[in-house]
Amino acid sequence: MKALVTGAAGFVGSSLSDALLQAGHEVTGVDCFVDYYARALKEDNLKKARQSSSYNFVEASLVDAELSGLLEGVDWVFHQAAQAGVRASWGADFRIYSDNNVYATQRLLEACLAASVSKLVYASSSSVYGDTRDLPMTESSATRPVSPYGVTKLAGEHLVSLYSVNYGLPTVVLRYFTVYGPRQRPDMAFNRFIRSTLEGGEITLYGDGEQSRDFTFVDDIVAANMAAAAAPVTGELLNIGGGSRITVNEVLALIGDITGREPQVKRHDKQKGDVVHTVADTSRALELIGYKPAVGLREGLSRERDWLQSLDAGLIAAMGAV
Amino acid sequence: MKNDPGLLDVLACPSCKGRLQYTSDEKLFCDACRLVFDVKDGVPVLLVEEAEPAD
Repeated sequence: MKALVTGAAGFVGSSLSDALLQAGHEVTGVDCFVDYYARALKEDNLKKARQSSSYNFVEASLVDAELSGLLEGVDWVFHQAAQAGVRASWGADFRIYSDNNVYATQRLLEACLAASVSKLVYASSSSVYGDTRDLPMTESSATRPVSPYGVTKLAGEHLVSLYSVNYGLPTVVLRYFTVYGPRQRPDMAFNRFIRSTLEGGEITLYGDGEQSRDFTFVDDIVAANMAAAAAPVTGELLNIGGGSRITVNEVLALIGDITGREPQVKRHDKQKGDVVHTVADTSRALELIGYKPAVGLREGLSRERDWLQSLDAGLIAAMGAV
Repeated sequence: MKNDPGLLDVLACPSCKGRLQYTSDEKLFCDACRLVFDVKDGVPVLLVEEAEPAD
């Protein structure tokens, strides 16, 4: 198959590209290197894929690129590109979120209509649910995002559904629950926690640590994308979680365990837009695409630690403060 | 990575959406907008803000 991966230099996009190439598919990656974190880290993410003769890469923005050429002969589109970051979505930078998460998605959908795409998989987020007491979150749970970021991802979902219903575009929406693992963005909690603990530094923690999350290892997210593309389903919306709910305090204890060091934690008040608990009901994903998370938290954290320890000092410095 | 000639043929200018020409110095040129897009290490950089005006 021939795949187009948007956000191909990012955490999930690059991991997915590597897996598609490994499975014998042809991949075109597109990324505009938004400056949310250092370009050097994204270039590093691309290294493996760029060694493959089945890989093409174009630096372009979905906001203005002419997409028809990139979609020529493409069977699967994996729309992983987005402006990330819940906290930064408040305030003056919202335009970046509406452009990159909503307008870019609409442009891609329009272009897919004119192409012969057999599946578009849209990367959404558990942040569309917002704070809810309705746990576990099922796909029919109310969506009340508590951050502008969540609002833009939900708007993207609605656009995908509209193009599926009105035009018959084959689509699947995947709602990712807190993804972690090698290549995780430097601003994300586990990356900061592990780096800080390895360096003997202090961890900044928002909230009391009793907030719980359904953490999902990146390989499971990748597997869900590939299964969603190949499965004979369309118009579906699926939760993709890691299969267990764990508090941040429990994660910190586990990080202490796998690094052999005691994490030093400095606690701060909960931030606007942070959700207290997330836990996914993934039974629908199991039923429709055979999704079953395979990597547990201890193994996943160990693999993220191994990745961080494999990076040279320059890349670690590029990640910025923990 | 290949970035095959077939791909270069189908890329378009992000400003006017018109066809790009692959130049002898391995860049992509939009005649209508008079913009030159770099190809860095085989990667076409189709960002208007990084394009150079043609002489």
